[in-house]
Amino acid sequence: MDLAYTPEEQAFREEVRAWLNDHLDPALATKVREDQRLSRDDIQGWAKVLGKKGWLAYGWPQAFGGPGWGAVQKHVFAEELARAGAPGIVPFGPVMVAPVIMAFGTPEQQKRFLPGIASGEVWWSQGYSEPGSGSDLASVKTRAERQGDHYIVNGQKTWTTLGQHGDWMFNLVRTSNEGKPQTGISFLLLDMKSPGVTVRPIKLLDGECEVNEVFFDNVKVPADQLIGEENKGWTYAKHLLAHERTNIADVNRSKRELERLKRIAKQEGVWEDQRFRDQIALLEVDIVALEMLVLRVLSAEKSGKNSLDIAGLLKIKGSEIQQRYTELMMLAAGPYSLPFIEEAMAAGWQGDFPGGEVANAPLASRYFNMRKTTIYGGSNEVQRNIVAQTLLG
Amino acid sequence: MDFDFSDDQQQLRDAARRWVDKAYTFEHRRAAVNAGGFRRETYNALAELGLTALNVPEAHDGMGLGAVDAMVVMEEMGRGMVLEPLAQSLIAAKVLAQYGADAVQADWLPRIASGEALVVLAHQERRARYRLDQCESKAQQTPDGYTLTAHKSLVPAGDQADAFLVPALLNGTQALFLLERSAPGVTTRGYVTQDGSRAAELEAAHSPATLVTAEGLAALELAVDTGSAAVCAEAVGVMDQVLTITADYLNQRKQFGVAIASFQALRHRLADMKMQLELARSMSYYASLQLDQPADQRRRAIARARVQLGQSMRFVGQQAVQLHGGIGVTDEYIVSHQFKKLTQLEMTYGDSLHHLGEVSARMQATAGVGDT
Repeated sequence: MDLAYTPEEQAFREEVRAWLNDHLDPALATKVREDQRLSRDDIQGWAKVLGKKGWLAYGWPQAFGGPGWGAVQKHVFAEELARAGAPGIVPFGPVMVAPVIMAFGTPEQQKRFLPGIASGEVWWSQGYSEPGSGSDLASVKTRAERQGDHYIVNGQKTWTTLGQHGDWMFNLVRTSNEGKPQTGISFLLLDMKSPGVTVRPIKLLDGECEVNEVFFDNVKVPADQLIGEENKGWTYAKHLLAHERTNIADVNRSKRELERLKRIAKQEGVWEDQRFRDQIALLEVDIVALEMLVLRVLSAEKSGKNSLDIAGLLKIKGSEIQQRYTELMMLAAGPYSLPFIEEAMAAGWQGDFPGGEVANAPLASRYFNMRKTTIYGGSNEVQRNIVAQTLLG
Repeated sequence: MDFDFSDDQQQLRDAARRWVDKAYTFEHRRAAVNAGGFRRETYNALAELGLTALNVPEAHDGMGLGAVDAMVVMEEMGRGMVLEPLAQSLIAAKVLAQYGADAVQADWLPRIASGEALVVLAHQERRARYRLDQCESKAQQTPDGYTLTAHKSLVPAGDQADAFLVPALLNGTQALFLLERSAPGVTTRGYVTQDGSRAAELEAAHSPATLVTAEGLAALELAVDTGSAAVCAEAVGVMDQVLTITADYLNQRKQFGVAIASFQALRHRLADMKMQLELARSMSYYASLQLDQPADQRRRAIARARVQLGQSMRFVGQQAVQLHGGIGVTDEYIVSHQFKKLTQLEMTYGDSLHHLGEVSARMQATAGVGDT
């Protein structure tokens, strides 16, 4: 048992850090660090920089053009990205659909879709949730009917994150009503520019349109965009959910945001307030404990033992921590988190923010936004069901 | 970055677990509680297994093993809620090996390793609460050496131990002494504590003692941090057992015609207990892995671990009782004893609020497992 990284892992960290130093635009990093709003170009521009280096597909095996890194290297890479203030990698393409295409797609599908994902050229969206299918994902109703060499898709997806920017979309669609709900689902890729696809952004409580409704009205999808076999989509979706479990804990970003919380607390004069400071100390303990939990999972993956039944805990704890630091940041700013001036949440605003500290402008918005974390990706209550299932049967 | 146990560590765990399962059943333990909370023959049995020699250097007839090995064994002690204070041998070995003069080491370490000498930390004073820099006991230099005048509380197995590690002021500065129970002027008064184990008041009046080190505070901090790491590991062992017992109970107990494990309110509670257990286990690893780091880094790590462990112990203990219902509050059933054990452990070597204060005071701009 050893807490230290190996010399090889350390060298790898230095390599990533040096590269980031040369390639990450400091103005973009500042935007990320200060939680200023990011444009599509901010996000995709950075994805393409990573793609050019071959690092957007950082979790991929070499056989598919990835770097072939192990679990610890992937973690170190993600840690350095977060530390440097790089925009988060939008996971739908490289982290979510790509492993499904690798595992279950045909060689033609792999050749057709993977390069665009790896380069960052093609923006993928996720078509899972529907108005009637939240945590109960197997109840999806969006229908795909086979007609010759096409499927005709009708229905609606919702909560499609950043779908307004999407080029392509992977979907769970119903191809059969026979048997259990899980057995009639298929995994279908579709071009979002196809006739009959309508994307309608949903404005959220933080003022932004981070998610969308996507409507399908007789959308014609070539049958060669079906992944694997018809009615086996649920199996593929589970494969996707099992992938990159440590990713969702996002402990690396939480470490960076804890630093920011401390800066804000000092700036706002509550660092010396013992009652407030103890709350930060509790969060610090939570974050170190979560990091240890993540490292235990990675270590088990590295040694191939993987007998740990704790991965389900990562999402619960990680999301609670994300909510907590945004809450404490807002509380640190106190009354000066009340002004909700949208323009001031963007970079470069030259106005006069009440209280004179424009960095306080996005704090409340961020707190509001983070309420999503205990809801998405399987609500924390669903996660508790899963944890309990492993303990109780 | 590696959290696997070596084959040797796995064997050590197996040996300790086999002994607990065979020689330290709940019935054995109950008999030990009724006998006053400490049995020398049990401590001797631990010594025969080699466990008192774990952290004693090989040069002094010990096994020369490290903090993770000690953690593995302490988890198993927790699993059996062993009353006899094996952790004290870890503390004494560590402090004497690091701070003791050669002669003191040669005199005491082999006897600690063999179990012949039970040496325990005697630092608690009435006005200190959990502060280590608060000390009223006094030492005096005499032509023959040193004498101690001290009053210490909650000394583990204090009326049975052979010698004590005692912090006392020497010319106004804390120094650490080794005091034998047989020394003139030493009196002890034993009693039981919450978890059924034994402790004592220790008084010394002008009693001759051996100086271990003039760096008394630093040595005491190491002693208490070593004890804290042991507390963490022991608590993980207790909680691991608690979770297994509670899960079994939920599956067996029927109400309204069904197993109560079918109720989501209870299932989620158990999931929350599992969360607390695994966070605690993670931070117990962290504590032991940081035990040999420089004092500042070590102290901060131990405080962080104890905040997590304290929260976990409180939650897991209380909820285990709750999920068992009425049987959980009886003396007959094991869970009430586990609850009391966890309660006492939380208040041993600093409670959660104390350690939160330490974390709070020691916060830096950055924080993470890799902190130096």
